[in-house]
Amino acid sequence: MIRAFDKPSFARTFALTILAIGALFAINVFLAKAESEANRVEAARFYENGQRLMQAGQSAEAADQFKSALSLERENQDYRLALGEALLAAGKIQDAQSTLQSLLDLNSFSGPANLAMARVLVKQDQIQRAISYYHRAIFGQWKENARANQVRARLELADLLSRQNSKEGLLAELLPLQDEVSDDIATLEKLGQWFLAADSPARAAATFRLVLRDDPESADAYAGLGAADFAQRNYRAARGNFAAALRLRPSDRAIAARLDVCDRVLTLDPTLKGLGVGEQSQRSRKLAELALNSLKQCAGLASTSSAAESIEAAEKQLKRRASASSDIELAERLWQKRKTDCGQTGAPDRALALVMEELAQ
Amino acid sequence: MSTSPVRLSVRLRQTLQPLQQSDARRALALSLAIGALVGLVTVAFILLTGRLAARMYPAGGAGWRRIFVPTLGSLITGYLLWRFFPFARGSGIPQTKFALFINDGRIQFRTVFGKFFCCSASLASGIALGREGPSVQVGAGLASVIARSAGLNKDQVMSLVPVGCSAALAAAFNTPIAAVLFSLEEIMGDLHAAVLGTAVLASATSWMVLHLVLGDDPLFHVPGYRLVHPVELAIYAALGVVGGLGSVAFVKLLLRLRDYFKGLPKWSAWFQPVAGGLTVGLLGYFRPEVMGVGYNYVDKILNGDVVLKTVALLAILKIVATAVSYSSGNAGGIFGPSLFIGATMGASVGSVAHHFFPTYTAGPGAYALVGMGTAFAGIVRTPLTSVIMIFELTRDYTIIVPLMISNLIAYFISYGLQRAPIYEALAHQDGVHLPSAKTREEGKRMRVNQAMRVAPPAPAEADGDEFRRLAERLATSSEMPPHVHPDHDLSLALERMGASGLTVLPVVSRADVHKLLGIVVLDDVLRAFGVSRPSEARESTGLT
Repeated sequence: MIRAFDKPSFARTFALTILAIGALFAINVFLAKAESEANRVEAARFYENGQRLMQAGQSAEAADQFKSALSLERENQDYRLALGEALLAAGKIQDAQSTLQSLLDLNSFSGPANLAMARVLVKQDQIQRAISYYHRAIFGQWKENARANQVRARLELADLLSRQNSKEGLLAELLPLQDEVSDDIATLEKLGQWFLAADSPARAAATFRLVLRDDPESADAYAGLGAADFAQRNYRAARGNFAAALRLRPSDRAIAARLDVCDRVLTLDPTLKGLGVGEQSQRSRKLAELALNSLKQCAGLASTSSAAESIEAAEKQLKRRASASSDIELAERLWQKRKTDCGQTGAPDRALALVMEELAQ
Repeated sequence: MSTSPVRLSVRLRQTLQPLQQSDARRALALSLAIGALVGLVTVAFILLTGRLAARMYPAGGAGWRRIFVPTLGSLITGYLLWRFFPFARGSGIPQTKFALFINDGRIQFRTVFGKFFCCSASLASGIALGREGPSVQVGAGLASVIARSAGLNKDQVMSLVPVGCSAALAAAFNTPIAAVLFSLEEIMGDLHAAVLGTAVLASATSWMVLHLVLGDDPLFHVPGYRLVHPVELAIYAALGVVGGLGSVAFVKLLLRLRDYFKGLPKWSAWFQPVAGGLTVGLLGYFRPEVMGVGYNYVDKILNGDVVLKTVALLAILKIVATAVSYSSGNAGGIFGPSLFIGATMGASVGSVAHHFFPTYTAGPGAYALVGMGTAFAGIVRTPLTSVIMIFELTRDYTIIVPLMISNLIAYFISYGLQRAPIYEALAHQDGVHLPSAKTREEGKRMRVNQAMRVAPPAPAEADGDEFRRLAERLATSSEMPPHVHPDHDLSLALERMGASGLTVLPVVSRADVHKLLGIVVLDDVLRAFGVSRPSEARESTGLT
């Protein structure tokens, strides 16, 4: 080659340079491919180590392995996602966010990346942004098990919304889930609870019935169905379901308490169908007396002077014999007075409050 | 069959005939070819040093290998450099400037080969130097070899040398604009050099080749930069101070050590690089990050993966390792190490700042990024190149202002404490006085208006009559005689006097060339340069 350059010649030099370019290009491409392949194998090894460490709960160590994998294969989105998730699990929220953001910059439709980012934002208490990323995850691209992963993302979002007490948003997420999770009893039970939280007791009841169809021994399903009936003011049905739940799980105090409330409502409500006239009068009088006591209690707590006149008048009226309807009217007046004068002061009797609400309607 | 090569040669000549018809076309064609070739050689350099290093001292490998490999590597390359490639020592930048300004752009193919081979071996064995400076010499050398083999004249060869430099740096750093700027700012010392067009062409070609072979994977994977709060600018200024002081410490240590090694007996020259290899090996035994180019670790730092104690320690260790490696005569540059040193210094400052003002500051990674430019500006003293280089690495406009603040402070501190830039000081140690930016600037400051005799506004005396005659002649003359403008360099006035054989030239206005502003006389010009003639020569304008 040096000899070729001995005698100056533009044409020969140019041709030799082009030949050298061709040869070097071929060598470089070969070297680059060898390098790339070696990097790929090494990166895969780091990734596998990271996965193992993640499963063992060593997320910080796993993140280091994923970082090493990523430094060798920058474009690999799986490694980047794994790193983001490991950083999140290790509590390095900012780092996780920037890693996932870089992944989303590469592919904004990535379902898993959007889901991980939503989790990061939940940790940062940026709920509205998190909800938006959950939606992107639900409608995003998933390499495998797309349907199942989308349902998983939606369930996670529903859980977040129920914790945030966002009833409308929650209901909007639950409706598409109904058909998707019909085979999974545990998820159906959760769904029923969320329907209750979203103020949709009828759907909750239907869901719990689905559970009971497959698992008639589910105390949770009976309790949930009871709660759904209770929310629909069907206290008799609620009582039956709570009783069934308590039979299956006798030690559950929460169910027992709800059953007690049902019993008290059912023994207090003067408007229940099938009651005799005497029973109706007796219950009306009892209701008026309870309403009076409640007003007295809260008047004592709130020290309102105007309540004293109402109390005195009610006591006089109760000394007289009166019809059931006038006792109910008195009870309603006293209850209204209580609400006006006392507001939230002094917690009213739950069963009494439920019956009074029923009467008001 | 025997006529085939001849016919091929004839056809080749015919095909290339259009290219040979003008200098501009030849320069254009050669710039493209040089850009592609140098780009490919630099890519090979990157691949070889990266891959070989991974094999020689793998991450997590035995500690003894980290001592043995650089020691052996420096021993072998030291002998080869001493015996076969004496011009391939060091970084390559002073050698390139030497070739350009003193040797008419001549760089031997042997030097190019030696530089490539010895540097590859040196860096692969873990010597704490960089590959960018050597790439520049290899690029310049290839340009020189090709230009001379193509039968170009001396000036054309010299004009292609910076083209090779641009192509090499564009591929080595993945920063095509900074590469051109560096060639003009540091190699040529003139941002308005005529080679700008061809340098840009070669740089772009080289950059394309890099991306064609290695893909779009950048040199550093830089996370998004963000200026969190304007208060941060004060911290970047502090980084400039730290970077400036760190740069001066590095340069002074390197020069002193080199002075020491140069003072040792000449026969020991082949063995001296072992001092560098052993130092790197011993430091690398405890901190492997010090070894080699270290860009993988810089990448980690940029991504904020740092611990204050570690990065602060690494900044010091890298300064020592690089200074000893370079001064003892190993082949390799200081660009890469200056980026490493800058990143570690920046990350240290950033870690401290983020610890005390977490809500007002970005993470250490952002400071490491700015620190890279800061150290580069402080050590290499090319502030414009350093700003553009980091800007190209981040492709983020918001980094410009912090970078400028930090870089300029580092630059001025470095200038204040160490007057001669590193390449100039290295050349001085070798007894070579290259034209520096300062001397060129001083030359430019000598203007015609400093030596001219101003034409009187209303000429009435004898002198005034001469001026009046000259003014009248200029006003009526259709062809302009040799002249200068007040803002011209005095050297140009001398050139024009020499070309025209005159000792007096009219100084005319740029706005109206027929308007006489004064005259410039040879003796006045010589006096301005501090030279006086024993006897006054007869002055003649040729016009009177």
